[in-house]
Amino acid sequence: MLTLKLAIRNLLRNTRRTLLTVMLIGFSLTSLILTDALSLGMLDILIHSVTKNLVGEAQIHKPGYRENLDVDLYLSDTNTIQTSLDEDSSIAAYSERVIAGGMLSSSYNVGTGLMYGIDATSESNVTQLKDALVDGEYLTGKSGEIIIGNELADLLEISIGDRIVMTLSEANTGELAQALFRVSGVFHFGIAGIDKGIVFTNIGQARQTLGLADDQSHEIALRFNDANVAVTEQSAVFTELNQGELETLSWMKLNPSIASIIELSGLSSLIIGSILFVLAGLGVINSMFMSIYERIYEFGVAKAIGTTPRRLVTLIMTEAFLIGLVSCIAGGVLAFVLGSYAQEHGVMLGEFEVSGIAIDNRILLRIETYQFVQYPIYVICLTLLAAIYPARFAAKIEPTEALQRSL
Amino acid sequence: MPLENETPLIQTNELCRYFQQSADIQVKAVDGVSIDIQPGEFTAIIGPSGSGKTTLLHLIGGLDKPTSGDVFLSGKNIASLSPGELSDFRRDHIGFVFQAYNLIPVLSAEENIEYVMLLQGLDEKNRKQRVQETLKQVGLEDYANRRPNKLSGGQQQRVAVARAMASHPDIILADEPTANLDSKTGVALLDVMKELNETLGMTFVFSTHDEKIMKRASRLIHVVDGKIDRDEKRTP
Repeated sequence: MLTLKLAIRNLLRNTRRTLLTVMLIGFSLTSLILTDALSLGMLDILIHSVTKNLVGEAQIHKPGYRENLDVDLYLSDTNTIQTSLDEDSSIAAYSERVIAGGMLSSSYNVGTGLMYGIDATSESNVTQLKDALVDGEYLTGKSGEIIIGNELADLLEISIGDRIVMTLSEANTGELAQALFRVSGVFHFGIAGIDKGIVFTNIGQARQTLGLADDQSHEIALRFNDANVAVTEQSAVFTELNQGELETLSWMKLNPSIASIIELSGLSSLIIGSILFVLAGLGVINSMFMSIYERIYEFGVAKAIGTTPRRLVTLIMTEAFLIGLVSCIAGGVLAFVLGSYAQEHGVMLGEFEVSGIAIDNRILLRIETYQFVQYPIYVICLTLLAAIYPARFAAKIEPTEALQRSL
Repeated sequence: MPLENETPLIQTNELCRYFQQSADIQVKAVDGVSIDIQPGEFTAIIGPSGSGKTTLLHLIGGLDKPTSGDVFLSGKNIASLSPGELSDFRRDHIGFVFQAYNLIPVLSAEENIEYVMLLQGLDEKNRKQRVQETLKQVGLEDYANRRPNKLSGGQQQRVAVARAMASHPDIILADEPTANLDSKTGVALLDVMKELNETLGMTFVFSTHDEKIMKRASRLIHVVDGKIDRDEKRTP
C-alpha cells in the first residue's frame, strides 16, 4: 500500500513527463491495434476478392486437372457428388462448371480465353459474377448467351448483342468444335486475368459443344456456411471427396501466392509491432531514467533510512506498471474509438493491386477482442521489462554517493 | 527498538576509508580512527571542510564500507554486514538527519515520520501514536499534513529529527543538520535535539563546524586529515 501510494504520487509529481510517457506508450498501442485491424481488413478484402470473384472457397476437380486444365480430365457422375454436397451441412452453395480454353473471334479481332459453362443460378450463389456485370444482362439459360470481361470486349471490339465465335477442342476426341454466341453481358471484376481471359456461358451449351454428358463437368466450386472451414479444412469434403478420382482443395491451396501474402502479413504485423514496442520501450527506459536521476538524492536518503534495494525495485516497477496500465487504458480507448469508426466507415488508401487482385480503395478495419486483451498485456509486460534496468540502477545506488549529489 | 545495552554504544577500531582518486593518488578520508561513544552522549565531530567528518559519520552509520577496521554498534560489527542486512540494521537501529532536503517530497510530514515504522512493520495503532508523540516533541503538531515543500527549512529538519527518533533507534546521526538553516532556526532545532537528549536520553552524534552545536555538545571530537586530532569531553 505504501509502495502504491508512493508510486502514484511520484507519477503525479511530474505530470508533464508522465503524460508524455503515457502518450508515447498509449499511441504505440493504438498504432499497433489499428495496424493489426487494417491488416485484417486488407486480408478480408483479399480473401473476399479471391473467393467471391471466381475461385469460391474450395473446388473439386479430377486429380491433375489443374496442372494444364486438360479438357479430358473431367468429373464423372457429378450427380453423386452433388448428393454428397447436398447432405453436407457445412456447404452453403456449390456451382458446377465446364471449362475449356479456345479461340474467340469477333468480326474485328481474335483472342484467346477460357470458356466457363455455368449454371446461372448456382454460380450466383457462389461467386459475384452477377454483381460484376457492368453492361447487359446476366445469363438466363437461353441458348447462345455469353458474358465476357470488359477488357476482352475491348480487345475483340464488341459490345452487347454482337456475335462471337468460340473455337475449341471437344473432350475425349480432340476434334475441333465451334459455337456461336451473342454477347449478352459484360463484366468487370478488376482482376486482369478474369476480365481479359474468361467468358461465361450456360453449362448446357458448353457441355454440348465439348461433347460432355449432363453429369460430367470439370470443376465444382464450393461456398461454406462458415468461411473459416476453408482455412481449417474441417469438413467432410476435404476427406470423403478428396480421394481416388476426386481432389478437393481450399482456396488457400488453389492460390498459394495469396496464402503466402496472408502468412507474410502476420510477419509484417510482427515487425511493425516489434518496432513500435522497441520505441515504446526506449521511451519508458528514458522516462524512468530521467525520473530516477531526478530522485537520486531521495533514493540515497531512502536507502540510508532503511529502504531495501528490493523495495526500491518494487517502487520503480510499480510506477512502470501504473504507467503501462494507464497507457493501455488510454491507448485502448483511443484505438477502440478510431477503430470502430474505421470499421464502420472504412479508410481510403487509394486503389492498388495485390497479386493481380485489385483492392478496393476503401478498407474496412477489423477490430477483434484479442487486440484489446493480448496487445495491452504485451505492452504492460514490455513496460515492466523496460523498467527492470532503471529499477536495478536505482537499487544499486550507493547512499553515500547519492547523498553527495548536488540538487 | 534499541539493542541490549552494552557499553560503549559505538566503538570503532582503527577505522580507515581510503578513496583511490586516480592510479597514483589515494585520499585517506578516514585514517585509523578509534573512538568509543557512550549511550546518551551529545557528541559533535568537528573539523574543517574535507577533514573526513561526513565520511566518519557515514561509516559509523553503515552507509559506507570501511577500507579496513571495524565499527561496532552495541557490540555488533556492522562493517561485516551485507548491503541488505545493513539496510535492515540502519532501519532498526540508526536514525539519520541529513544536511537538507532529506524528506520524501511526495509524503506529508506525518507520512514521512511514519515511513520508517512502515518499513519496520509496526502496526498502524503504534505508528499513529508514535507519529503524534514525535510531532509534539518537535513542536509540529499543526503541520502533520503538510508536504515538505509547504514547510520551512527548519520545520523540514524538525520533521527529519522526528522521523529519525520515531523508529526508536539506538543513536541518531546528524550530518551538518543546521548547515542550511539560518541562525535562529538552527538554534531552535538544536534546542529540540538537546531536549530529546536530556529528557529521553537519546544519543546524538553530529558532524558539524557550527559553533552553536559545538557549544551544546557534551563531547567534541576534532578530526583533521582523517585522524582524531583531539577528543574533549566537556560540560555544555
